[in-house]
Amino acid sequence: MNCHERAELTPLYLSGELEEERAAAFGAHLKSCAECIGELQHQARLDARLHDVLLAEDVNATKVDQRVREMIASRAASQPAYRDESRRWILATAGIAAAFALLVLAGHRFLLGKQVAQVYADAARDDQMEVVQLQPRHWYSDPAQISVLAQKVGVPQSALQALQRGPYRLERAKICFLDKHLFLHVVFSDGQRDLSMFLRQRDAMSVQGSADEMMNGKLVQTADIGGEHVALFETPQLIVMVATTQSSDAASHLVAFAASKL
Amino acid sequence: MTERQEEFELTAMPHSRSLLRVARRIASDPAAAEDLVQETLLRAWRNFDRFEKGTNVRAWLFRILFNAFYAQGRKARSSPLVASIEEGRLEAMSRGDARAQPPIVEAAAVSHALQQLSDDHRAVLLLGVVEGFTCREMAEILSLPIGTVMSRISRARQALRERLSPACSDVLHPRADVECAEREVS
Repeated sequence: MNCHERAELTPLYLSGELEEERAAAFGAHLKSCAECIGELQHQARLDARLHDVLLAEDVNATKVDQRVREMIASRAASQPAYRDESRRWILATAGIAAAFALLVLAGHRFLLGKQVAQVYADAARDDQMEVVQLQPRHWYSDPAQISVLAQKVGVPQSALQALQRGPYRLERAKICFLDKHLFLHVVFSDGQRDLSMFLRQRDAMSVQGSADEMMNGKLVQTADIGGEHVALFETPQLIVMVATTQSSDAASHLVAFAASKL
Repeated sequence: MTERQEEFELTAMPHSRSLLRVARRIASDPAAAEDLVQETLLRAWRNFDRFEKGTNVRAWLFRILFNAFYAQGRKARSSPLVASIEEGRLEAMSRGDARAQPPIVEAAAVSHALQQLSDDHRAVLLLGVVEGFTCREMAEILSLPIGTVMSRISRARQALRERLSPACSDVLHPRADVECAEREVS
């Protein structure tokens, strides 16, 4: 290989794309040509500096992300289902979903006194459709994958581990949207029933419920919406919600457990 | 959230920051850059059915980005974009932190030199050097033959080196940092 050939192949060499035989010839030329190796080293340093300078820039995509999610959500609401399996489910459960939506709306409107935050209705809907009705969703059951999802919404691994030290088994998890915020939707089982818990990093989102009580030192706000019992509390780090169609006792036990662990 | 939305959230949305980093360097201003990324992600959403799961989603998204950029027509680069990126660095320099100046000046010089390149040269450096795409991936993203990509990135690297002032190009060798800073500030 000569210097001209070396120069032509440098882009492939620097990106690691040279096949074995030519890479060997490239390397052999570098060993014998001080000018070429100097040139390559200089280029590699400049590449590294350019890379570091650009990656050190503050790039905040939060605003763009939020706009995109809102636009997708509004378009998804107005577009028909596109997959056969989802279409079958939607047709099959359309009546139930419509009735539930009416109940949610009715429940939401007739909650006495305080203006209940939208997040309660959204949690109730997700539990009803995804856990009770078992509409198809892509759940993750691998602990490592669940940990990755948890990181996306600011839920520390220690919190998930703490919640698994007790009578509840973590069955599966996925990301969901509640009141335009990303949550980790976790399904716990007590051996008899599945219970939904929603977690995310605490922020300024509205969490007003219709009633509240103290439980294990935490103020727990609750709302009953369309047959779903939803409870919410906050820790310094997290927003935690439990939603279930089971008796409010089942929800209370899980809330009390979570409040004691987090 | 539908299953499709969840898959899109996990597959495509994590790359929005990378997309914006490149968009800021090719668009005419920060608002145009955000609009370009928004359009990219919405196009990706509309065509998500056609994306083959498990294949290179980053390359797919960047291809959409550049197709969207070229479809808009290349607007002239304007100094506001350069100024907005450089602002933070120059403010720090003006605060007179002598210890910070050499790296800040050198970083500003590299950043400014990048913006002085042609659109084509800047694009391949952003994709290849900053975002780490291979030549084959860049060929797919830019819809170019791989030979064209290889020669273009070679010329882009050379152009960048020439744009950097002789003193600042020497900051790759540590002892020249202070000398470069003095020349830039004076």
